[in-house]
Amino acid sequence: MASMGAAPDHLFNLRNQFYLGAYQTAINNSEIPHLSPEDAVERDCLVFRSYIALGSYQLVISEIDESAATPLQAVKLLAMYLSSPANKESTISSLREWLADSTIGNNATLRLVAGIVFMHEEDYSEALKHTHAGGTMDLHALNVQIFIKMHRSDYAEKQLGVMQQYDEDHTLTQLATAWFNLAVGGSKIQEAYLIFQDFCEKYPMTCLILNGKAVCCMQMGNFDEAESLLLEALNKDAKDPETLANLVVCSLHVGKSSSRYLSQLKLSHPEHVLVKRVSSAEDNFERAVQSVA
Amino acid sequence: MLTKFETKSNRVKGLTFHPKRPWILASLHSGVIQLWDYRMGTLIDRFDEHEGPVRGVHFHNSQPLFVSGGDDYKIKVWNHKTHRCLFTLLGHLDYIRTVQFHHENPWIVSASDDQTIRIWNWQSRTCISVLTGHNHYVMCASFHPKEDLVVSASLDQTVRVWDIGSLKKKTVSPADDLMRFTQMNSDLFGDDRQVKLWRTNETKAWEVDTLRGHMNNVSSVMFHAKQDIIVSNSEDKSIRVWDATKRTGIQTFRREHDRFWILAVHPEINLLAAGHDNGMIVFKLERERPAFALSGNSLFYTKDRFLRYYDCSTQKDSQVIPIRRPGTPSLNQSPRTLSYSPTENAVLICSDLDGGSYELYIIPKESVGRSDVVQDAKRGTGGSAVFIARNRFAVLEKSTSQVLVKNLKNEVVKKSSLPIPTDAIFYAGTGNLLCRSEDKVVIFDLQQRLVLGELQTPFVRYVVWSNDMESVALLSKHTIIIASKKLVLQCTLHETIRVKSGAWDDNGVFIYTTLNHIKYCLPNGDSGIIRTLDVPIYITKVSGNTIFCLDRDGKNRAITINATEYIFKLALLRKKYDHAMGMIKNSQLCGQAMIAYLQQKGFPEVALHFVEDERVRFNLALESGNISVAVASATEINEKEQWYRLGVEALRQGNAGIVEFAYQKTNNYERLSFLYLITGKLDKLSKLMKIAEVKNNVMGQFHNALYLGDVKERVKILENAGHLPLAYITASVHGLKDVAERLATELGENVPSLPEGKTPSLLMPPSPVMCGGDWPLLRVMKGIFEGGLESAARGGAVDEEEEEDAGGDWGDALDMVDVDGMENRDIDAILEEAERGEDENDEEGGWEELEGLDLPPELDTPKASANARSSVFVTPTQGMPVSHIWSQKSSLAAEQAAAGSFDTAMRLLNRQLGIKNFAPLKSMFIDLLNGSHSYLRAFTSSPVVPLSIERGWSESSSPNVRGPPALVYDFSQQEEKLKSGYKATTSGKLTEALRLFLSILHTIPLVVVESRSEVDEVKELVSIAKEYVVGLKMELKRRQKKDDPVRQQELAAYFTHCNLQLPHLRLALLNAMTVCYKAKNLATAYNFAKRLLETNPLESHARAARQIVQAAERNMTDTTELNYDFRNPFVICGSTYVPIYRGQKDVSCPYCTARFVPSQEGNICGVCDLAVIGADASGLVCSPSQVR
Repeated sequence: MASMGAAPDHLFNLRNQFYLGAYQTAINNSEIPHLSPEDAVERDCLVFRSYIALGSYQLVISEIDESAATPLQAVKLLAMYLSSPANKESTISSLREWLADSTIGNNATLRLVAGIVFMHEEDYSEALKHTHAGGTMDLHALNVQIFIKMHRSDYAEKQLGVMQQYDEDHTLTQLATAWFNLAVGGSKIQEAYLIFQDFCEKYPMTCLILNGKAVCCMQMGNFDEAESLLLEALNKDAKDPETLANLVVCSLHVGKSSSRYLSQLKLSHPEHVLVKRVSSAEDNFERAVQSVA
Repeated sequence: MLTKFETKSNRVKGLTFHPKRPWILASLHSGVIQLWDYRMGTLIDRFDEHEGPVRGVHFHNSQPLFVSGGDDYKIKVWNHKTHRCLFTLLGHLDYIRTVQFHHENPWIVSASDDQTIRIWNWQSRTCISVLTGHNHYVMCASFHPKEDLVVSASLDQTVRVWDIGSLKKKTVSPADDLMRFTQMNSDLFGDDRQVKLWRTNETKAWEVDTLRGHMNNVSSVMFHAKQDIIVSNSEDKSIRVWDATKRTGIQTFRREHDRFWILAVHPEINLLAAGHDNGMIVFKLERERPAFALSGNSLFYTKDRFLRYYDCSTQKDSQVIPIRRPGTPSLNQSPRTLSYSPTENAVLICSDLDGGSYELYIIPKESVGRSDVVQDAKRGTGGSAVFIARNRFAVLEKSTSQVLVKNLKNEVVKKSSLPIPTDAIFYAGTGNLLCRSEDKVVIFDLQQRLVLGELQTPFVRYVVWSNDMESVALLSKHTIIIASKKLVLQCTLHETIRVKSGAWDDNGVFIYTTLNHIKYCLPNGDSGIIRTLDVPIYITKVSGNTIFCLDRDGKNRAITINATEYIFKLALLRKKYDHAMGMIKNSQLCGQAMIAYLQQKGFPEVALHFVEDERVRFNLALESGNISVAVASATEINEKEQWYRLGVEALRQGNAGIVEFAYQKTNNYERLSFLYLITGKLDKLSKLMKIAEVKNNVMGQFHNALYLGDVKERVKILENAGHLPLAYITASVHGLKDVAERLATELGENVPSLPEGKTPSLLMPPSPVMCGGDWPLLRVMKGIFEGGLESAARGGAVDEEEEEDAGGDWGDALDMVDVDGMENRDIDAILEEAERGEDENDEEGGWEELEGLDLPPELDTPKASANARSSVFVTPTQGMPVSHIWSQKSSLAAEQAAAGSFDTAMRLLNRQLGIKNFAPLKSMFIDLLNGSHSYLRAFTSSPVVPLSIERGWSESSSPNVRGPPALVYDFSQQEEKLKSGYKATTSGKLTEALRLFLSILHTIPLVVVESRSEVDEVKELVSIAKEYVVGLKMELKRRQKKDDPVRQQELAAYFTHCNLQLPHLRLALLNAMTVCYKAKNLATAYNFAKRLLETNPLESHARAARQIVQAAERNMTDTTELNYDFRNPFVICGSTYVPIYRGQKDVSCPYCTARFVPSQEGNICGVCDLAVIGADASGLVCSPSQVR
């Protein structure tokens, strides 16, 4: 399925910026002239998803009105889901409603949002119900991630194969390859590192790329390099949750105090996996003491 | 065939190369002999004295001579330096076919249609031998390059070899080799359209082989100087190349209309020349440029049939792998370009084989340089192939103007059509290609399918990117174009001779070579020669002052150059004036060229520092507005002209003092008085008036009086000058009644009448706003150079801040005055606009294309698969998280904790070490857990992916096989803690020390080491830490027990029995000694003092100890009874701190092995605070090697 096209891909940069976590850059450079209506909708989706990634949920909710296209409505649903965990039940029920609607239920963006939402719910089978068929690079990439989360790297590899067949050099394919390589570990980690290294050379550094590289370094036991990469990422964004979380991990390994990063993370992202892990670990510890005693 | 030079002329009958210079002589059918410089492509000279065709011509190999022979039966010897025919040798009776100098003797051999061969001595200018025997025209005769032989060919169908040994009075040595006559005009063979190869010895000649193929008479044939080939040309309008060993035709070059008449070969370098009906061509058969690719300091290049590697830093050269030798013997099939991917260690070699093909080699890790086995390379056809990413390369398909992107398995990953018809592709950054067509290049992004930049250029041969990939140099035959990475033109350079190669230095200067020079090109397009070259080289890398290059023999060379000139110019260009100044001070940079350059580039003030000549200096100073230097120079020169110009400049700047000085020097009173007027220096003005009076300059005097408003003076002057009516009027108008009356009487009747009804007033010059001193001075470009140089001259270190300020000033001033700068900026703006325009245009174009397509390919698939989403899909069951694998596999507490199985970890610790109190371990458990996973942000807005970090990763670990978890605590950290604990103890920070030692004890249960020997070290560390914890706890307790001297003494005494480091033991002993002595327990104190002295303490301590020993020896008693018997070995109870003497019952801690009195059994250990005293335990397990 070698892609043979001569038409310039106007959204190429925007998409890449979005995938690689340069959200603000993506938003700033979204004014692209001469877009077809489909491209314009995709552009808007990318912009609003960038806002979501930056945490500006309310902006997205208020900007997208009733008349907007289905993909945008789906993005709005995602924003609503992420903005208020309290009301997530109602968001999920309207999501289910839409998915059941045969006219829009097949929309790729809607399915993508469904995948993301159910992944947050840790209901992987429900997520896969909507995403497994794939159809866009985004959906395939999400599938890879879902399978990685399910610790089924065999399935992830299959999805990756589909992506590679479609466009091996696509940014998402490369990213997904890196995720997969990291998930299976071993010698593959080096390949993941090279992928992030390639991104470094080709695109401006983002927290996402730096974190990716740092994670590779940590997996390879090279915590000093990881630390310097993470500090660079921290310079770019002092509140990036992954940077903070990885810094906690990294500091522990280099024998430095991690408490500052941890409290920063607790303050800015109380919902982060690491924060949750810490609190559950404390309970776990007490329980274990009881059981051993 | 690579044509280097071509001429159009009358039929060329004879050719000869100059052995050293790039010259060739062509003798024409018209009788003219032309001297060409084939490198510059110019006609240097023509010699026109022969009548009729000149068939033979030959350069002497050392003298500035050549010889020619023509159809006028004359042999002429010429000096090409003086452009004169030196003399003519007469004797032949018919056309002369060939002439040739002997390589060492002063001889000339000539062959003539008169059936003779003659040998001449050109020094004595006589014929020394006539060789007769041929019975038809002798078409050709030549000396053997080594032996005393002459070979000749004649239309009598013989080739004769002549012994001329007797001319030298020497015997002929036997020769048995394949004779390599450099030139052999062989009409003889031509008649049967064959080339015959002969072998000769002393007496015989054999025909070795016949080369058939020419369709008409063969006019000339020769052995190639360097390769094992024979070249022949013929009247069939072709040049043929033959393999000399296989004797097969390799290649044929044809011309449309021109019959070939003569061939010549250069004696030293790889060049041939052929003369035909309408001129001649200078050519070579094969490219001599080795293919190479540079990556950092590593240079890969091909030589013969090997890929070789050269390390620029160590200058080591080694053979890497053998590469395929072209299957066909035809010429120019050797590798043409090389592309290297450093991460994958892969090399792409392109050649013209099979109409363009490439081979992909993966260099094995342990380079097997010796091996001769050619790796089975992956091959393919294509115009050119380059790496465009770590593991991707692009191959050009010329016919369809497409590129195929392939992976390292040589599989096509993607196809993309190119925006222009392309005949070669070059690397242009990851994922980008530089495509070349006849007249332009474009940079094309393969992923976006967008043209990123486009530039009209002459035919580009080589592309050299700067190290930062920001600039690119495009090398054409005679042009170098420097452009930005988006192909925005920065400058263009034209060279008259061929550009060969180039490389960027680290500062952004492009260093390039032409056939005979190494030159530089600055970013603004200024260029200059660095040095000349004897032979062409191909630059591979520039590093500081060293140029790395390959020569035509494929040898690596490192040439050191003097980079001062271009570095200096670059510093000026980049406004790094401090750097430039440093160079002025430290190096010998001068010369007219540099001064002219500086002046031309608007840096006269810099040039000032190079100049000694006062006049030049003065001019430069004026140009740069440096008045003080100008004044100094003007004083030195002291000529009117200079003073005048100085005055003008000073006036421009408003420096009135200098203006005055200049005017005074030139005695320019008019200007001076006007200057005084406008500067308000009235006193000086009146002085000037007096001077004018003395000098009898009436006009001057009057002027000054007018300026001063001095009516009396004016009247006086007018009166003295005899203008009495004027004097009268002046006096009367201004109310000088008495003077007026006196004058009126003098005038008598001629008193002029004054106008009526007007009120006269004295016209006084307005007084200047600024009086005295200078006017506000014009801002002059006064720069760093002066400040810097002057301050340096004062002998102090250059004050950085001052320097910067000065630089800033200069910058400002430059902006205000420098017109060039303004222009540049405008141009930039225009360029930018143009660029913007271009972008827009591009997008316009792209838009249309988009309309043409139905859908972008990305949108194709979702529609197709939309229906596929059905209930067939079954969600796979979840896999096992890595942490589960860990907790299943491991029996080490630390790994269990990292896996999050705290209860298992605790059970293990309890079983192994009897640990019951886990509270001190809580934070460590949590840290271990936290440290076991990193967090990967994968898909935006989706949950983060935690990734388990494994221990002991190596490049060869296989994927999907889980190693044990990475742990945040390791043994080396504990050793560090031990060291800091020692340090804290030494410096008396006992609480801190105790904290550290306790921390060691608390961490060790969660430390994992790999080998058994390390396990022992860990156990040793536990016992060391335990000793210190016990000791420090006692010491701290002692300090609290101020009111109980007995207990204090006891604790101090026990402390000395802990197993401590010597310095710490000394401190403990000193302490115990002092405490006991103070408590009058002299006998005990004596004991400590003795022990202290044994430890070789500080002198002050030793003295104290000796005093105590002396005191105690006088009175060996104790005043109080202590529970302390140093003669009886004991251990100390870790909780109660009482001695447990040998033989007494005790219990111990299963972990830290501290001993306790039996009553403590069942309590938590007071030392490590973890384990239960006297509990059953299997022992410390801290290494997987213990488990196996």
